[in-house]
Amino acid sequence: MKRKNNIFSELYGTYYRTAAKILAKDSVTESDIYKIISEETFSDSALFIPQKLIPRNGLSDWGLLFSKDGKSFSSVLNHKPLNIATELQKCWLKAQLSDPKFRLFIDDNVIEKLEKRLESVKPLFSNSMFRSSDVFSDGDPYTDENYIKNFRTIVNAIKAKEIIDVEFMSGRNERKHGHFLPLRLEYSRKNDKFRIYCSAYHNRHWSNGLINLGRIISVKSIDSKVSYETNMEEYFMLRKCTEPVIVEVTPERNGVERFMMEFAAYEKYTERDLKTGVCTVKLWYDKADETEVLIRLLSFGPVIEIKAPQSFRALAAERVKNQYELLNKA
Amino acid sequence: MAGFSELIKSFDKTRDYVRDFFIYGCKVRNDFNAKSSRTYDDEKRRVESWLGDYIHTDNSQRGKKVCISVDSGHISENPLYKAYYSKSFTDNDIKLHFLLIDILADGESLTLKELVNRLADDYGEIFDEQTVRNKLKEYSEEGVFIKEKQGKTDYFSLSPDTAESFFGEYDGLDNAVKFASEAGIFGVIGNSLLKASDLKNDIVLNKHNYIVHTLEDEILLDIVIAIEEKRFISYESFGREKNGELPEFSGVPFRILSSMQTGRRYLAMYNRKYNRFNSVRLDSIKAVRIGEVCHEYDELFEMYIKNEHKCFGVSFGRRTELGHVEPIKLTIYADEQKENFIINRLEREKRCGTVEKVAENTFTFTADVFDPNEIMHWAKSFIGRIISVEGGNEEIRSKFYNDIERMNRMYCDEKKK
Repeated sequence: MKRKNNIFSELYGTYYRTAAKILAKDSVTESDIYKIISEETFSDSALFIPQKLIPRNGLSDWGLLFSKDGKSFSSVLNHKPLNIATELQKCWLKAQLSDPKFRLFIDDNVIEKLEKRLESVKPLFSNSMFRSSDVFSDGDPYTDENYIKNFRTIVNAIKAKEIIDVEFMSGRNERKHGHFLPLRLEYSRKNDKFRIYCSAYHNRHWSNGLINLGRIISVKSIDSKVSYETNMEEYFMLRKCTEPVIVEVTPERNGVERFMMEFAAYEKYTERDLKTGVCTVKLWYDKADETEVLIRLLSFGPVIEIKAPQSFRALAAERVKNQYELLNKA
Repeated sequence: MAGFSELIKSFDKTRDYVRDFFIYGCKVRNDFNAKSSRTYDDEKRRVESWLGDYIHTDNSQRGKKVCISVDSGHISENPLYKAYYSKSFTDNDIKLHFLLIDILADGESLTLKELVNRLADDYGEIFDEQTVRNKLKEYSEEGVFIKEKQGKTDYFSLSPDTAESFFGEYDGLDNAVKFASEAGIFGVIGNSLLKASDLKNDIVLNKHNYIVHTLEDEILLDIVIAIEEKRFISYESFGREKNGELPEFSGVPFRILSSMQTGRRYLAMYNRKYNRFNSVRLDSIKAVRIGEVCHEYDELFEMYIKNEHKCFGVSFGRRTELGHVEPIKLTIYADEQKENFIINRLEREKRCGTVEKVAENTFTFTADVFDPNEIMHWAKSFIGRIISVEGGNEEIRSKFYNDIERMNRMYCDEKKK
């Protein structure tokens, strides 16, 4: 028995999508075609698509463009290309509707209409088919009315580049209040929580901020917008550790594979010693996550060694020293 | 590199390469078990072509090293999705895709013969009926065309469900799909919907983002169908060739188990041959075949659920019999006045275990699990606070005490400083 719908299909492919973009134009020149290809496709695609698409002496392999003057090209189609949602895509949408996090983004009356439209569609999967063994048990309250209200206000503010007034409980359980420009939502599957990357406005200065959505008490609009686009690359650069942590990973207990998989989500640079199999890894992380990175590294035990920076190694040494003393005291 | 194409026919070989480039980030040509250096060069060139911005090459002493380095918590789109958008096709495939949709775009319902004639009359393209019939069948199964029988004749019309119509009609759906395409199950499907409507995720980032998981989405589709239909599956594993052939395993699939800590995903299943539950790493599965219906599925699933509660992670232990658990107890120090966050950590991360206060500033975590070894990786994240480890087995306890000895020498030995 074989499934009929397949995600690895040319229907979703980059070449079809790029061709559709070109065919949607009333008329294109060869340089327009190359420009679209360079924006939409893989880095080698310019070697392959134009020769298939652009007619030479009135003919082309794909036969989708024609030219009257040899300089500009028009689509042979009578309509703009249509992107039909496939059964697989609709089944996926239907499955997502049962995820309370997906529903956070959409008003209830709209959800109802969408459910009606997808009534005859079978969900692609059910959430009960998947289980994460180590998701934290204190996830955000996705069905709480106040949480949903705050969530939607923040999403709208991100889209509109709107500054908002936020009242929240800090990590130290203190009630805080301030003006923030929300930039992006961040979801963590491990924590099962949303956070907001934002710029905080305080004493006439903008600074980098991060707020747990579950800790927000209220969000209000203050009718103030910014006109500029925040450069997220620069934003995250400011959050990044100044020096990468350097770790030596040994092959003992399959350490290299385990380490590489666990830290796959981090930006890193690796060198392997061919004789010993030991890998030296430079690992960059968000400064706010330093403790998390430290305890994750320590959980590998002696299979890895934190070599640098000295200040980070000292944090590990302090915990190990405490541990050694605790066991010897017992 | 004559004959090179950045498009590929099947996904599994490329999947293996991409994974290695991404996970290890320190492999050179000789590390890959390719049949020829040409295969390595082609795969490398494809990966470079798809993932240009994230590929780093470095001339290390051992030869040219290729790695994909992504700070995946801060990216708006999983770059590995591109691998799915690289399926090869024929010139006829792409012609028929655009021309048949164009013919039916006015809302007409036409027969195979009428469509073949329209291809010739409207566009001057001559196709034999069989080629067009195959495409109509394929697109009807994909839901692009709607097939309806009138008398003995099949009529084909275009589905009215364009990707744009979904996003245009349902306010907020674009943001929801942006979220689910990065953080949701089978996110690549959501991403394909966004791409079809020329939308990009500009709203959500995904922490603890194991982007490499998407490489398993193709086989995962087969697995969820088998679970849904309560069927057996058989599967081939990567890298376990015997006499040049990959061995085949079989079982009854129940759930996909994942660890957000280790980044690994497993298929939990019942192995009839050994009469036990086990977990198989998804990234080790090369291909899946869906088999017959399992008539005892419901009884087995009920038994599976009872067993699942005794797994701290994904392991059902080494034993062949079902249901044998080993108790383990960790005693942890936490200052109740200043270190409430440690007590909160224990509570929210305890899973099937129990946390109790046993004395001032002293807490125990106890659990009855199939494989207490799974607890120890997590337990070591409390290094600095563990007063004792009891239960489990001798091997686990002495490994822990030895590890602390070794770490103490590693980090606290004055001579090493």
